Amino acid sequence: MRKLSLLLLVGITFLLTSCPKEEKVLHLYNWTYYTPEALIEQFEETYGIKVVIDYFASNEDMFAKLKAGAKGYDLVFPSQDYVEIMIHEKMVLPIDHEKIPNLTYISPLVLEKATYDPTMEWSVPYYMGAAGIAVNRKRVSDYPRDWSIFSTKKLANRMSMLDDLREVIGDALAYLGYSVNSVDKKELEEAKRLINQEWKPNLVKFDAEGFAKAFASGEFLVVQGYAEAIYEELDTELWENVDFFLPPSGGPMYLDSMVIPKGANNTEAAHLFINFIHTPEVYAQFLDRFHFPSSVNTAAAPYMTTEPFYHVEDLENYELKRDLGENLTLYNTLWETIRYNE
Amino acid sequence: MKRERQLGIIYSAPMGLWLTIFFLIPISIIVIYSFLKKGLYGGVEWQFTLKAYQEMFNPAFLKVLWRTLWVSVVATAITLLLALPCGYAMARSRHQIFWLALIIVPFWTNSLIRIYAWIAILSSEGFINELLLSLGIIKESLSLIYNQQAVITVLVYINIPFAILPLFTTIDKFDFQLLEAARDLGATKRKAIFKVLLPSIRSGIITALIFTFIPIFGAYTTPLLVGGKDSYMIGNIIVDQVTKTRNWPLASAFSLIITLLSTLGVIWILVSGMQDKAKGVVK
Repeated sequence: MRKLSLLLLVGITFLLTSCPKEEKVLHLYNWTYYTPEALIEQFEETYGIKVVIDYFASNEDMFAKLKAGAKGYDLVFPSQDYVEIMIHEKMVLPIDHEKIPNLTYISPLVLEKATYDPTMEWSVPYYMGAAGIAVNRKRVSDYPRDWSIFSTKKLANRMSMLDDLREVIGDALAYLGYSVNSVDKKELEEAKRLINQEWKPNLVKFDAEGFAKAFASGEFLVVQGYAEAIYEELDTELWENVDFFLPPSGGPMYLDSMVIPKGANNTEAAHLFINFIHTPEVYAQFLDRFHFPSSVNTAAAPYMTTEPFYHVEDLENYELKRDLGENLTLYNTLWETIRYNE
Repeated sequence: MKRERQLGIIYSAPMGLWLTIFFLIPISIIVIYSFLKKGLYGGVEWQFTLKAYQEMFNPAFLKVLWRTLWVSVVATAITLLLALPCGYAMARSRHQIFWLALIIVPFWTNSLIRIYAWIAILSSEGFINELLLSLGIIKESLSLIYNQQAVITVLVYINIPFAILPLFTTIDKFDFQLLEAARDLGATKRKAIFKVLLPSIRSGIITALIFTFIPIFGAYTTPLLVGGKDSYMIGNIIVDQVTKTRNWPLASAFSLIITLLSTLGVIWILVSGMQDKAKGVVK
């Protein structure tokens, strides 16, 4: 018996030590389709590190999983509000600037907006953008290039807005000249009135799943959404029929960042990856893939070969969605009257 | 004897284990969570409260609950009304296998894809509108999608096999000579169906009812994809509470309601099944 257990012990030790060396694998936890396959392969070839990617579809999913004790991710890509929460909850490790010389390319304008971590102590920006409005130019003419397009009666039942409370309420707040993070009850009440009385009667639905397909098929003529999702559904020769714009009155904006979660096995490779992705030539490939503007890494702009769907200047009046903490309840109640009431 | 009893425990162990892992534990988690305080960033805090149940009495939620009930009742009724003649025709047909195959084959395709197919059929630029337009029957596209009717149509389509199959099996077992006997004794055709056929296939009707009503009541994808701005059902609220508004206790409380309702339905089947048996004995 004793011999057997000894044998088992030796066996287990052997099994454990014969595992592939830890430094050779990098575990990413990222949004679905957010890092081009080609770049991952480039990274693997350059550094001889295997990349394993796990995907999430929403910040809430990601957060719940990490909070529940998921370990072993080396680099996670949350949006600004969740970066703030994760810093606050002490779930992330500090960034070692020495190891990431390419941090110099990060736009100071972006860091200025990232008030929760302006010195990149805990997070490194990945991409900053915003949802906008896409109009089917072939079928619609003479329309306001602003959020007020949703008040257009003649487009009733052919327009959709995102099924996302922060986006829709944020747009209304910005249109009224308030902060997209307002917790002022009077301002929120005004936003609610604008949405319920002016916009919602003309909307066919609030949709975050099928709107891009419905826009591509000509069913929806005006949609609020993310440019990359909308164009993805269309053949390139049809792109000229689309007018995509970010309303100048502003709205909510997002900043996805890279953080190294506590419990990471390979912080070394995580730093390497951050530095790699922010090499201007490499970052330009990422932007090209999605036709993004070079908001975060301005040095990448000269290397880009595509025209972005919108420009960095368009984001001027846009404001990052902050975590509202307890005040999220205010937005929830508002959203219930918009979403659940007839 | 004692040994046999022990064996019984061993034989039932896999079943017991299965129910514990996949039924008891998840249900307990839902029950417990519904009585806890919501965590600021999702999840729960271990503090007893009835807040989730109080929040349920929000008029906005009650409206959705009412709408869910209404949609479920209408969709279930239509499903049954369509399924009854189908089941009857199948039972009397000589090509039962063929009809069965027609009903089962669509199951091989993912329901999400079938819902998207309905979008292609119903949308303004979809098959129905194109056809009617090209035939000159209508001048402008009809709004067939993104409203309550579309939700009901697709729910009926998705759930109708669950109604046809139990109805078919019970009608198939029915002795059709009884109908003839009823006619011989002076019943009209209609009377024979309502007084003889329908009561005899009661258990099949109830099974079909439960099998369609419960999934429709918990529907999530259909109202989300083919519904309009006011088509939300309870299933959608539950998902929103978990993923968007970070209120897990409220989501649990709603789930519990759906579960309780389903359980009541199943109990109803069991009880009515037993009554049928009891009646059979008296006869």
